[in-house]
Amino acid sequence: MIIKASSLHKRFRDVVAVESLDFEVGRGRCYGLVGPNGAGKTTTMKMIYCIVRPTSGSLQVLGMNVLDNPREIKARLGVVPQENNLDPDLSTCQNLQTYAKYFGIPGPTASKRCHELLQFMHLADRADDPVPALSGGMKRRLILARALINDPELIILDEPTTGLDPQVRHLIWDRLLDLKERGITLLLTTHYMEEAQKLCDEVLIMDEARAVDSGSPHELIRSHVAPYVLEIRADRALTHDITARFDYLEHQTSGQNLYFYASAASEFNELIDTYPAMERLLRPASLEDVFLKLTGREIR
Amino acid sequence: MSQGILSVTPVFLKVWQRNARVFITLWKFNFLPALAEPVLFIFVMGLGIGSYINEMEGVPYLEFVAAGILGSAAIMQATFECTYGSFFRMRIQNTFEGIISTPVSAGEVGLAEVMWGATRGLVNSSLVLLILLGLGILDHWQAVFIPVIMFLAATNFAALGIIVTTNIAQMEYFRFYFAGFVLPAQFICGTFFPVSRFPEAIQIFAWALPFTSFIDITRSLMLDRFSSSLLPEALWALGSTLLLSELAVRSMHHRLVT
Repeated sequence: MIIKASSLHKRFRDVVAVESLDFEVGRGRCYGLVGPNGAGKTTTMKMIYCIVRPTSGSLQVLGMNVLDNPREIKARLGVVPQENNLDPDLSTCQNLQTYAKYFGIPGPTASKRCHELLQFMHLADRADDPVPALSGGMKRRLILARALINDPELIILDEPTTGLDPQVRHLIWDRLLDLKERGITLLLTTHYMEEAQKLCDEVLIMDEARAVDSGSPHELIRSHVAPYVLEIRADRALTHDITARFDYLEHQTSGQNLYFYASAASEFNELIDTYPAMERLLRPASLEDVFLKLTGREIR
Repeated sequence: MSQGILSVTPVFLKVWQRNARVFITLWKFNFLPALAEPVLFIFVMGLGIGSYINEMEGVPYLEFVAAGILGSAAIMQATFECTYGSFFRMRIQNTFEGIISTPVSAGEVGLAEVMWGATRGLVNSSLVLLILLGLGILDHWQAVFIPVIMFLAATNFAALGIIVTTNIAQMEYFRFYFAGFVLPAQFICGTFFPVSRFPEAIQIFAWALPFTSFIDITRSLMLDRFSSSLLPEALWALGSTLLLSELAVRSMHHRLVT
């Protein structure tokens, strides 16, 4: 096991950030942590890369206890934090070289590795640019390159693609899948369920410091929601009318959106025939439906 | 496991190097403004006001005040570096959180910051020393030890700066630290006139501040005056510097690893 957490707890003064968390991540897997903001995902990750100390429970990373061997653990990890912490006073290449030093990588190896990584992340022509001259997407790619400087066995990615355009997001997904193919273990958090569904072998849904459920995206969808979803956009009166008439179908309301769930698309036929003019979308159920079902559609 | 200086490995030098690299990149902004204050002091206190004062403790005023100007140059630079500079790296740029995600420990970041502040104090006061040499007021060979004393004084204030920086919630609190401690220390520790001018209560307070000892030792070296009081002064200067450095390293650990 690359990561093994059991009854993991973290309390900051009066706030419980993580409670009774149990999970395991095997080598070469991509494991996703999803949940609303404040669910405890980042705290969990910070405990894994040893900058937040668990209050109780046990956390083993690469076979070592996070409280006993932080230096040894961190030497074999790559971290992509949620907040940009590139060094704005150094160039793209110097950012990588500085980190190489922290890992004790000798100069010539560091230069070679820096060159390869900038190629890998499509930043080779930006090697000498100062960090403030880079776009948001380039900075994110540079942070990922920096996380790879020590050839890590486990990469921890806290919202790696938040705020990026689709091109960069696809590039990062491709790179992460490349890394996974090489046998590197990935642990990531994301708010994009499409991303979790695409990349993760297993997903842990967290809410209010606790695990709600976990499994492969496919299993989670199968066990929590019906395979077909009909999304309807309707005003209050129409919503009321539809839900009264089709009460026998499983449904949920969120603002002006109505979601109906069914095991076969044909179950929606009568509804569609009754309201032929309404704005609607028939689609297969996704991880997002599971997420919203388990953590609620309301904003907290 | 200990989180103090004893837990620090030589990897802290890599963090020091990171700061040095940035400093060299931005040297134009770093050297000249930092020198402005000591040069101004030499002119205003030494040559300006000094021309109205025949002598102080038996020497021309400029020769008396030189130790104070050197000491001020060292501690002010170290203080700025380890308050605003470190705060900026820690809280605005998140540099430290990035560094401790690598095999570098929080205590190592703490010691690196203290040593970096001390380095800046040493560089700044050494430049002032060269100016004083140019003015022809360094007559005694013992002056070669002055940079060592300056480095220790700068370490003392760098460590204190890190303790403050790692314990405040927002940058505005530095104003209290500067107005309430750094500026008074800069003036009452025998920098511009002897501590003996003060009422006894203030003299005790002044001697409790290690900076007074640093200034007195520097002045003794410059003027070739030695007395038995120098030994306890040296012990207090060194001991307080070690103690504050230990506290700074621990404080950085508690700030960064929660």
